[in-house]
Amino acid sequence: MAAPITPCSSPSSSSSLAFPSEFNLCKPRNCCFSNWVSHVCPRIRTRTHFQIKTSNGHPLNAVSMQGGMDGSPLAKGINPEKEEDFFIDISDGEEAHSTLSITVVGASGDLAKKKIFPALFALYYEDWLPENFVIFGYARTKLTDEELRNMISRTLTCRIDKRANCEDKMEQFLKRCFYHSGEYSSEEHFAELDNKLKEKEAGKRSNRLFYLSIPPNIFVDVVRCASRKASSAKGWTRVIVEKPFGRDSESSAELTRCLKKYLTEEQIFRIDHYLGKELVENLSVLRFSNLVFEPLWSRNYIRNVQFIFSEDFGTEGRGGYFDNYGIIRDIMQNHLLQILALFAMETPVSLDAEDIRNEKVKVLRSMKPLELEDVIIGQYKGHNKGGRTYPGYTDDSTVPSNSITPTFAAAALFINNARWDGVPFLMKAGKALHRKRAEIRVQFRHVPGNLYKRNFGTDLDKATNELVLRVQPDEAIYLKINNKVPGLGMRLDRSDLNLLYRARYPREIPDAYERLLLDAIAGERRLFIRSDELDAAWSLFTPLLKELEAKKISPELYPYGSRGPVGAHYLAAKYNVRWGDLGGDDD
Amino acid sequence: MAAFSSMHCPPPYSSSINGGKNRSFIFSASPRFSVPAKAKVFVQSPGNSHQNAVLMQDGAVAAKVSPVEKETPIEKLKGDLLSVTSSKEWDEETGFDINENESTVSIMVVGASGDLAKKKIFPALFALYYEGCLPKHFTIYGYARSKMTDAELRNMVSKTLTCRIDKRENCGEKMDEFLKRCFYHSGQYDSEENFAQLDKKLKEHEGGRVSNRLFYLSIPPNIFINAVKCASMSASSGNGWTRVIVEKPFGRDSESSAALTKALKQYLNEDQIFRIDHYLGKELVENLSVLRFSNLIFEPLWSRQFIRNVQLIFSEDFGTEGRGGYFDHYGIIRDIMQNHLLQILALFAMETPVSLDAEDIRNEKVKVLRSMRPLQLEDVVIGQYKSHTKGGVTYPAYTDDKTVPKDSLTPTFAAAALFIDNARWDGVPFLMKAGKALHNKRAEIRVQFRHVPGNLYNRKFGTDLDQATNELVIRVQPDEAIYLKINNKVPGLGMRLDRSNLNLHYAARYSKEIPDAYERLLLDAIEGERRLFIRSDELDAAWSLFTPVLAELEEKKIIPEYYPYGSRGPVGAHYLAARYNVRWGDLGVEQSA
Repeated sequence: MAAPITPCSSPSSSSSLAFPSEFNLCKPRNCCFSNWVSHVCPRIRTRTHFQIKTSNGHPLNAVSMQGGMDGSPLAKGINPEKEEDFFIDISDGEEAHSTLSITVVGASGDLAKKKIFPALFALYYEDWLPENFVIFGYARTKLTDEELRNMISRTLTCRIDKRANCEDKMEQFLKRCFYHSGEYSSEEHFAELDNKLKEKEAGKRSNRLFYLSIPPNIFVDVVRCASRKASSAKGWTRVIVEKPFGRDSESSAELTRCLKKYLTEEQIFRIDHYLGKELVENLSVLRFSNLVFEPLWSRNYIRNVQFIFSEDFGTEGRGGYFDNYGIIRDIMQNHLLQILALFAMETPVSLDAEDIRNEKVKVLRSMKPLELEDVIIGQYKGHNKGGRTYPGYTDDSTVPSNSITPTFAAAALFINNARWDGVPFLMKAGKALHRKRAEIRVQFRHVPGNLYKRNFGTDLDKATNELVLRVQPDEAIYLKINNKVPGLGMRLDRSDLNLLYRARYPREIPDAYERLLLDAIAGERRLFIRSDELDAAWSLFTPLLKELEAKKISPELYPYGSRGPVGAHYLAAKYNVRWGDLGGDDD
Repeated sequence: MAAFSSMHCPPPYSSSINGGKNRSFIFSASPRFSVPAKAKVFVQSPGNSHQNAVLMQDGAVAAKVSPVEKETPIEKLKGDLLSVTSSKEWDEETGFDINENESTVSIMVVGASGDLAKKKIFPALFALYYEGCLPKHFTIYGYARSKMTDAELRNMVSKTLTCRIDKRENCGEKMDEFLKRCFYHSGQYDSEENFAQLDKKLKEHEGGRVSNRLFYLSIPPNIFINAVKCASMSASSGNGWTRVIVEKPFGRDSESSAALTKALKQYLNEDQIFRIDHYLGKELVENLSVLRFSNLIFEPLWSRQFIRNVQLIFSEDFGTEGRGGYFDHYGIIRDIMQNHLLQILALFAMETPVSLDAEDIRNEKVKVLRSMRPLQLEDVVIGQYKSHTKGGVTYPAYTDDKTVPKDSLTPTFAAAALFIDNARWDGVPFLMKAGKALHNKRAEIRVQFRHVPGNLYNRKFGTDLDQATNELVIRVQPDEAIYLKINNKVPGLGMRLDRSNLNLHYAARYSKEIPDAYERLLLDAIEGERRLFIRSDELDAAWSLFTPVLAELEEKKIIPEYYPYGSRGPVGAHYLAARYNVRWGDLGVEQSA
């Protein structure tokens, strides 16, 4: 059943009235790294802020986006700000005249407590937030500022390597946190919030960021209220939304259409927090700043690519939301597909958000929609191990006992372009598996005419090179190579050329949410999903999802804590692939 | 031959018997590298003046057809090579097991009281014995001028024997057993009579079995020929093979080297001569071909299209220390560059050989050497260390060594730029650097890749990423390692790049002790595996690259640039590198990493 998205009957307001989304922003106070460093801000070219004021509210598709980028006089004309002088303009003096207000809508929710507030605190601690900022929690619960602070303070932590002044900093941070109680669909309540914000802003140029940490069925209401009543008058207003972005092409398009009634494309920041992961960020660096990888990055050398996500726990009593979506929508269609697009895209013209997203869209649009026979679905069942009983998915009291929602899926995708024709891109995602892992595996072809193959017993075709980017846990990059075992005689084995982050970089790696919040504040859209990307992503998965549901395909059951349904192996075998994570030599 | 070695050494066929857990992967060197008869035939030209490279290679190809009757009857009998030539080698070799019990190997260390013998050869032989790599029947004879009893030799040898760290059990016992197989014979190096006496003693030990004899010449070059003559005339095996291992120096220029080869060939066939270059026996040099040819990811990058330059670096952190007499006559270029570094270069740069057979590999190496321009004087920097006082300790200059003439101009350091004028490597500088008395001990290969064309990250960042190109480092010694320097995002907010390493540190990955190069080479010589030994035509080609510049250096009495003992060497090396737009990888800001 479709996610209940309130149909957006646009009440009267002229939808062309988009917020002036001006840039003005974060020069973090301490931009003090030396030459090798350049933090986010200077990278941002304001090319990202030309505005496409679509008065009709239709989502822009990829073609028009890309066309618009280059040719549209709109792009040049509308925004008076210039690229080059942008950051120079924001002197510290000017910063003193502007403020940033971050409103966490749904402040009492789990995500807010576990991720958003801690990320904001980390940014504050590391001096990435502008000098004048306030944080507002907004939710229906009645809370005082003090109660909110009390609630937040329990989840704040300092980085391991930066404990000095931690308490002090927390105090200061909490003093900037406020609470406003209100209904999500009440313009009146948002108007009250606006008043409070104005007070804090004290006449300064104000920028406002809304983080919607609420269920999807009230997205549009909140956006309407916030945009009408609590937009910044003379700064920018941006809204961060989290998945789910609909549950198929139609509902996603509908959501986009509704959002666009109140927001312009560039005010919408669709978060995919996997794009904020360290190693996903590093993927482009590896490819484009090293000579040794790019020549190998094509069907000539790469045999297959694997995107693997696994969790070692199930829904654990919180299956209500999940059951309506399933693992394909929850992980594959967004996180894994986004990583795939980044992995496979052509070299962008520049690192600007629009250039990167243009390339990602091209990949998505070159892909074949997924076929039913290229997908395996599974669902975990109860399992007894060592005297403990692990529940099956349908044992979850929030899940219907006849649910056939997949908690595991494997799929083979193909990109029909010159670079990747014929290379299988395999995805695998599952809950309640034997371990927690997210990784990208690139398996290279065998060595043509391998000199060593003839003479050795082993099939070197099975010992091909493999590049592994382990996104979590224990971030690492390693390249499996064939090597001579030291000693007399000639024995080969696979060993790793290896970069374990923990060993090389003792600093704590920031949470994905920190990066994404910072980018949203900075107006850096590189890691957020554009409407046309979203459309393209849905159009790959929608036919399959519909077919699965229409035909009521039963998932293959697998025991809780196992390696998942064996069907995944047969799917891989069909394309002559072997899963890299379940081999003999584990990882 | 091959058969017995594979029996005793980590065995290819008997995995279950040995129960070694990785045995299925193991093959001892020989069965894989069948040495075809062609190897021996084309060198059958006693009395010829030395053959040049062209003839050699042509010969090698043509030789397939050459009839075997050219071979000496001795070799024909138990042709080590004959058996292996068969395409059904495995079956046939297993069949050899019976014969194997009947055959013996006698290893004569000529110059047994010398330093190399004590430090390297006897310990290597013991290690092979310990690992079960020597055949069942073997005898070791020390030969030298000093008067010594067997017991005295054993006593001397025993002082330098050690067991591998991971194999201490029964060590004492094994040593005893090994020493019981060691004997001594005293004689002059140029006396056929004395060698005939040795022959008698050997026959006693061989007890009528098929006898194979390996002579290891650990003696000064001026008596090479005499010893070879006597050994071959009076102490060759009657019914097995006879091989001779010789060590550098192989002459000191093209002419003297050719003369030496010619003289050797009066008494030996090419395939009896095993010219050792012990760098070729180093683990990571062996691994170089494995890396290139058994991984997909390196070979596409292995050309001028992606590689900017290659550096071959050798350094020692000590000087001649009172033993400069020999060295002064040769200098660092002859001692290290013309052989060790050049051999590594040839292996690095060669085209893919047809197979891993010795002749195929050596053919490719010769092609590289012959595609190279002879070294020019302006592409060479030479240096000599001078004394230096540090922390109260005074380190002597080269010329302070009593065994070195006061006015010696012999280089103890040299850097050179070489070029291979073929399609793969045109324009890529191959830099070599070798020196004594430097700040560290190191042997490594560094491959610097080109910069990323149109680097997206270049524009926006302060650093010049052209200087942070990828680099592949193969560290041969100490602390064997392979690592690839890559640009990586520093974890954290913002975008900061740095160079980190994709790393394979041998000590961490492989707990086993890495065998000494001499073990591998001795074993190969016993097995008749010639891959790691230098063929005459290779030697000629190598000398012809260096001879002109060596002559010019000496003729013009070029003064070396002096550098302090323990320093990083003469700065001239940097200017030489700069001329070809190269930066030494080992002396960067981020030291050695």
